[in-house]
Amino acid sequence: MTFTPLDELLLFSGATLLVALILGRGLAAGWMVTILYGGQLLTLIKMAALGYSDTIIHASISFEIMGQSLSWRFDALSWFFALITVASALLSSWFSCGEWERSFKQQGGNVWLYHSAMALNVFTMLILLASGDLLSLFIGWELVSWAGFLLMAMAGGVATRAAMRYITYAMAGGMAVFGGIALVYVAAGSLQYEAILTAVDQMSSTQLWMLVVMFGGGFGVKMGLLPFHLWQAPAYAETPGPGSAFLGAISSRMGLFAILLVLVKLFGIVNIDSLKIPFTLIDARDLLAWIAVFTIILPTFTAMKQNDARHLLAWHGIGQGGYMLLGVVVADAMGGAGGLLHVFNHATYQAALFMAVTAVIHRTGTSDLNKLGGLVVRMPLSFMVLLVGIIGLAGLPPMNGFVSKWLVYRSLLNEGMPLLFLAAVIGTLGTILSVYKLIHNIFLGQLRIEHEQVKEAPWSMMIPMLILAAIIFITGLFPGIPLAWVASVQEVIGLPATDYTLGGVESVSGSLDMIWVIGVLFAGFGIGAVIFYSAGRSKRVHQLDNYAGGHFLSADVRYQYSDNFYAGLMHLIGGWYRSSFLWLEKSVTSLVDFFSLVMQGLYRRANAEFYLLSTALFVIAWVVI
Amino acid sequence: MAPMELILELTLMPLVAFLVGMMMVLMMRRIAAKIQRRVGPPLLQPLYDIVKLHSKRTQVSHGLIHDIGIIMAMGGYIAAETLLPVPGMNGIAEKGGIITLLYLMMIPSLGLALGVGQCANPNGSIGIARALTAMLAYDIPLVIVIFGVAYAAGTTNLVDIIAQQQAGGFAAWGAVEMPLLAIAGLIAMHASLGKQPFEIYIAPAEIATGPMVEMSGKYLGGLFVMQCFQLYTTSVLYVSLFLGGGSTWFDFLLKSFLVLAIPVSIAYLFPRYRTEDLLRLMWKWPVMLGLIGVAFVL
Repeated sequence: MTFTPLDELLLFSGATLLVALILGRGLAAGWMVTILYGGQLLTLIKMAALGYSDTIIHASISFEIMGQSLSWRFDALSWFFALITVASALLSSWFSCGEWERSFKQQGGNVWLYHSAMALNVFTMLILLASGDLLSLFIGWELVSWAGFLLMAMAGGVATRAAMRYITYAMAGGMAVFGGIALVYVAAGSLQYEAILTAVDQMSSTQLWMLVVMFGGGFGVKMGLLPFHLWQAPAYAETPGPGSAFLGAISSRMGLFAILLVLVKLFGIVNIDSLKIPFTLIDARDLLAWIAVFTIILPTFTAMKQNDARHLLAWHGIGQGGYMLLGVVVADAMGGAGGLLHVFNHATYQAALFMAVTAVIHRTGTSDLNKLGGLVVRMPLSFMVLLVGIIGLAGLPPMNGFVSKWLVYRSLLNEGMPLLFLAAVIGTLGTILSVYKLIHNIFLGQLRIEHEQVKEAPWSMMIPMLILAAIIFITGLFPGIPLAWVASVQEVIGLPATDYTLGGVESVSGSLDMIWVIGVLFAGFGIGAVIFYSAGRSKRVHQLDNYAGGHFLSADVRYQYSDNFYAGLMHLIGGWYRSSFLWLEKSVTSLVDFFSLVMQGLYRRANAEFYLLSTALFVIAWVVI
Repeated sequence: MAPMELILELTLMPLVAFLVGMMMVLMMRRIAAKIQRRVGPPLLQPLYDIVKLHSKRTQVSHGLIHDIGIIMAMGGYIAAETLLPVPGMNGIAEKGGIITLLYLMMIPSLGLALGVGQCANPNGSIGIARALTAMLAYDIPLVIVIFGVAYAAGTTNLVDIIAQQQAGGFAAWGAVEMPLLAIAGLIAMHASLGKQPFEIYIAPAEIATGPMVEMSGKYLGGLFVMQCFQLYTTSVLYVSLFLGGGSTWFDFLLKSFLVLAIPVSIAYLFPRYRTEDLLRLMWKWPVMLGLIGVAFVL
């Protein structure tokens, strides 16, 4: 029997899990696992042809269960997501080796559990990405949900509560997905993708509506789409440092993968577009777009109010997911490319940002934005990584986040969607405000007296961070590299492919060439530097040698602005979202309450006639519809 | 285009912007003087100021990021100028388009924000927090306006937007075709200049000139240069979107100076808004005008 590359990948990944389980307590466990992730990445690179064409690689294993065949295979879509998964696992694991691992152990952390949970997450994600029919998709989905729970819950305390919340949402989502799969089986008579593709055309719009709601809701939970987003930020933020880098980079994108596979590839955007909501002008696709837009805005502005760096980043992770869904739902060549490219870009900068914040926690012991400040002089490289990361997150040139957001904006502009466009830009502006608060409160401003001896992060943490920073910049300079993969993904899921170049996108209605844009930007910086340094020499002064309105400053005086950072803005909007969030959360809980009451009422009433009647009504309704 | 010619354009465009920008600063000061019944500064005063500031003996640095912030503030605008077409020169305007230009124009603010942050002065940090809030205020009407113009023109390429207006003559000017967007754009542009009544982030009486509190010598000189570019970029962008760009240099400069004279004249007549009032104003009137304007375009 010969192994296909996909078999090799899954075996490698399983071996990584085994090594973590057996040797996870050992001294060099972290390094061993990291090397094995490297092996997985190499296997993926061996399959690189997938990223440039629409071939498929099958796994040798397949089962028959109750007449249903289960199979696994990789195409461009799976390969693209797998690449991001394995690369972020490799770098997060590398980051955790050595010094972080030692200090984690000293603080009573369970390193064995950490490595095993990470390896399990990667393994289950690869299984999910490789799913070849809806049944294997469901199995992968559940495995990923529980593996994620393990990683989120391991820190104990707040983290466990957040993880419990997550698993509640995930189980409900899983049930919705299962219900959707059952409906598909009834309609198509099979769970194979090909059979579904042909069956979709015969489905009534009611059936399709049910499927869109069930699958969209079920997968949306994992993505943290509104209103199912409340679990995500605390759950990701409280995971041990490198774990949160990994989760933030890719974990919730599994939801997007499933949405792409089921809603976009199998059901087709065109079919979803034809689902009108009665008595309104909007259809299911608009509904998805608006959910995406609210997922951008509300979490982003919540992030702005966070006083803990990890929570701030985790909230942004939810918000950025909205851009991905928005781009995919717009579904023209540019929008699809923007949404998919954003998955890659987001993974790079989100991992870098979480790592930089973890490095700060490692050295100072806190991520409280009101207890830090001025660290740029002590940790200049971490500052640089965080700066690169926030420019990416805010979507400004010259980093990669700009390209994907530019594509999303352009698609909204081309399609003439002013309100969605405006909402996307509001999200970006909110992000700029929020990330400036992040970098200012950690690295700028006054250095606290207790941080005067702080050292730069160790090299074992620094190298993965620098690699990520380099990727963020290089894929910003040459967006054509990931756009090539994105174009094949677009073909696989049936969206029009973009006309990309190495430096960006070619289009009659306005192109983008990042090589030129970045070129002139750095030339501009160069001229600025010449003007600046050709003037007189400047004198470096101590931070306390500062204007204080006639007062003397001393080291014990806290001369820093960090709390209530955007006071003027909060005067105006502070009240708005306090009530809107409460309203949202209350409406979700009361909806669940209502359903559970209805269900309880049904269970408790041992009334045979009532059951018979309601079943009969349901069946009649089903037949008629 | 020959590479040499392109390099020449890329050098000339920022240089022209700088010279015109200095004259715009002069005009602003002269208008202020006229309104306050003073004589006002001489022709070369902006140049004298820049030279003076760069050759001062006290140059207080709070660290490398303080320096880099100033460089980014100047460099970002120098780069942005190459995306802004002027008569006879398009630079790389076709390789970026208006969205890229809009985002490049944020780089100087981000650079300044970083530099001020390192100064470790809460007055500066409060100033930046307010400046970013102001950006959130005026960018929302501004992107509505840009959406409207770009959608009506069917392109984000500024060169095409200008060419379409010039081909149709006066009746095809953005301001004539989309008057609501033009008004909304003017209000947003005024706020983006940070002049009274929107100078919430300078506020000398409250936060000791905010971002400028720890800026001396060439640091302040860098900000002066940045202001020249800012005045130029803002008014030329407006002229390109709504007033048909410039077919000749005379026409181009006349329009740019006239457009700038409007907010500047208003500025010296008014006291200052509070932060939340700025947000309220920007999110209400120009946004409403802009959305109605966009509805006409769609």
